[in-house]
Amino acid sequence: MEEGCMINSNFLGISLFMRCLRMLVRILVLLYLAGAPALAQTLCQPNASNGCRVRISIKTALGNQAYEWNENEMFLFRATMAFAMRRYYKTETYNVDNIIMCNQTLRVSFWFVVTSPENSTMLIPKADVEKAVRMSRHRINNAFLLTDRTLEFLGIHPTLAAPVNPDTPPWLIVFGVVIGAVFAGIIALLVSSLLQKRRKEKGMMEDGQDEEDRQMKGVENDNVLDGIYNRGFTDDDRFTKL
Amino acid sequence: MGKDAARAEWDNPMQFVLACVSYAVGLGNVWRFPYLCQMHGGGGFLIPYLLMLVLLGVPLFYMELAIGQKMRLGSIGAWRAISPYLGGVGLASVVTSMYLCLYYNVINAWSFWYLFHSFQSVLPWAECPVNSNLTGHVEECERATPTQYFFYRETLDISGSIEENGGIHMGQALCLLLAWMIVYLFIVKGVKSTGKVVYFTATFPYLVLIIYLIRGVTLHGAINGVKYMFTPKMEQLANPTTWINAATQIFFSLGLGFGSLIAFASYNQYNNNFEKQAIVVSMVNSSTSIFASIVTFSIYGFKATFNYESCLERVRLLLLNTFDLAEDTISLENVNHWIAELNRTHPEQFASLGGRLETCDLEAELDTAVEGTGLAFIVYSEAIKNMPVSQLWSVLYFIMLLLLGMGSMLGNVIAVITPLSDLKFISRYMSTKTLNGLVCLFCLLLGLGFTTRSGNYWFTMFNDYGATFSLLFIVLIEVITVCYIYGIKRFEKDVEDMLGHRLNWYWKIMLAGVSPILLITLFIFYIVNYIQGGTPTYQAWNKELGKSVVTEYPPYAQAFIGLLLASSVCCIPLTALYTYCKKRNLASGKRERTVSTVSA
Repeated sequence: MEEGCMINSNFLGISLFMRCLRMLVRILVLLYLAGAPALAQTLCQPNASNGCRVRISIKTALGNQAYEWNENEMFLFRATMAFAMRRYYKTETYNVDNIIMCNQTLRVSFWFVVTSPENSTMLIPKADVEKAVRMSRHRINNAFLLTDRTLEFLGIHPTLAAPVNPDTPPWLIVFGVVIGAVFAGIIALLVSSLLQKRRKEKGMMEDGQDEEDRQMKGVENDNVLDGIYNRGFTDDDRFTKL
Repeated sequence: MGKDAARAEWDNPMQFVLACVSYAVGLGNVWRFPYLCQMHGGGGFLIPYLLMLVLLGVPLFYMELAIGQKMRLGSIGAWRAISPYLGGVGLASVVTSMYLCLYYNVINAWSFWYLFHSFQSVLPWAECPVNSNLTGHVEECERATPTQYFFYRETLDISGSIEENGGIHMGQALCLLLAWMIVYLFIVKGVKSTGKVVYFTATFPYLVLIIYLIRGVTLHGAINGVKYMFTPKMEQLANPTTWINAATQIFFSLGLGFGSLIAFASYNQYNNNFEKQAIVVSMVNSSTSIFASIVTFSIYGFKATFNYESCLERVRLLLLNTFDLAEDTISLENVNHWIAELNRTHPEQFASLGGRLETCDLEAELDTAVEGTGLAFIVYSEAIKNMPVSQLWSVLYFIMLLLLGMGSMLGNVIAVITPLSDLKFISRYMSTKTLNGLVCLFCLLLGLGFTTRSGNYWFTMFNDYGATFSLLFIVLIEVITVCYIYGIKRFEKDVEDMLGHRLNWYWKIMLAGVSPILLITLFIFYIVNYIQGGTPTYQAWNKELGKSVVTEYPPYAQAFIGLLLASSVCCIPLTALYTYCKKRNLASGKRERTVSTVSA
């Protein structure tokens, strides 16, 4: 009889143990399920070292055609960020769940962190997130119809467009045209007056236009203006008495 | 001798009037008069301005035209004919005109530079250039504004002070070469070519001014500027500086004392009615000043309103970002209301804003009065970059500046060339074309000094001291010579000879009485101001701070200023002394030989 009781008690102990184990597993699962969002929440904190702040100004960018920022847009953002991470790491493991957002304000600004697809408690360092965003910045902006200034990732400065350096600066081209025209004009004037002088020297035509000849040689031809002013009349007044 | 018959002449009196208008209406009408208007009480400034025009401007203008037309010689010959002892007055005019020629064309070179740079899709002074590693903008540009950076760094490549010389800025040198080539093109055939050019240089700026007036008054916020300008602040009239500045502005704006007016008038027909023309040109000059200041103030108003609204926008964004409010809660109109509200509801967070919160004040923006090259090249270009289709307005504006500057340059160069070509020993060996070319080449080579890195400081020195004081002295001596040494009676006879009617009592009183008194007052005021001012200073551009700082001139620069002033003023007593010595030598029994280089 003693052996039967012992076997019975052993059997009871094992089933109790199994039951306890099952309950423990259930509690753990429940805890895990309950705790996961809480864990995610602790992952995403404002001013966290690996978190990134985003500020969006839809009305400034689009004015009358501004869309409303709601859950769907948030989802698009997470998808876009996952796309950026995939593009940067060249892997296909990133998913929407890896982007966690928090602390959304009316301004439309929020914080987000990126978790690693292998280990959901591990965050991707900020530097890598920055590089990923920089690489796909243009695509992210276009997904939201925004620009670098209206979709701001605080701390990630937009790379400015490289200055376009043409071979000849455009101003030189305009300068060249103008100075060429002026030079041509000067040459034309000089040559035309030279030709006129030569024509006059040949005596072919009476030229009334060449003034500086007269100035140089004095009155040299019979082309007289209306009267020569005779200073003789006022000569006594000409020099102030000393 | 019939040399007079050989003298070149304007094709018709209209050319002469347009030449005078083109000369008198210059950059000063656009950038000095609006500044004075703003400083001295807006609309109220017109009272001393018009009064001085009547008392000082028109009579002196009349006198210079009369002298030129009567003597039919450039300034040296004309003054020597009036009084041999005071022939130095003409020489002083030529020296001052030469200084002006040297530095004035540099402004045209800058206008060309800006004009050529306007042919780009984005105006280069609209944005700061990116720095070498593409992370941000160039530091100097960040501290200053893009327009200032473009002017001081890319146009001038200015050094930190007048002592630090540098190399020549090639772009500036090329533009200066172009400017002088164009001047040569305009004067190469003497008044024949100048007479045709002035049809364009005198009238086209008005066309551009009208276009700008229409554009200006239709700009958003322009009415603020115009209202600001025309509200008279009559208490400024009690300030003697207002009257002094009005007289000085009239004086310099008409270009008296440089010899240009004498030179222009010397190509007139003997019986040309210069009296009417003198009044017409002076009136046109003053009305252009007023007209240009309406344009300037509407552009000021636009710029001030633009800056004010940008300031409000920045404050609005700052508030939205700091307090995380939705975008459409704060608009530009209720920014100030929200500032008070947020200060009340969230005081600690508001205090954390600290110095980042700017106060936006439209009056303060309008109060920033600028004159001179700063107005033309910095303030105006800043306003233009914000206009729609800014390239077109930029091109138009700089073409207008060029025409105004070129028109004045014509007068300056002719003031130098006419007396030189009257001298027998020059006219015997050189044709006018060669003389003109040599003068232009000489001025170009010396003017290259203004294109060096410290060139702008030398430019400012020439601008402030080269022609101001000496001109007052020259014109004072001119008036006293004509009225008292030559005699107002003889002058009256000459005018009657030319015009056919006697001098009006108005001219007699003004020339003999009022103008000399006013000139003496101005002269004394200048001397007192100069002595009281202490060491002369200039504005040096500091690239670390990104703004101009007041710096004293070094001793050698001050000596140079003294040289500038003395070199033109001393011509008068030195020539008188020379003539006196010559006459004494002649009187002491030497063979009488009239050495006259005056073409008679």
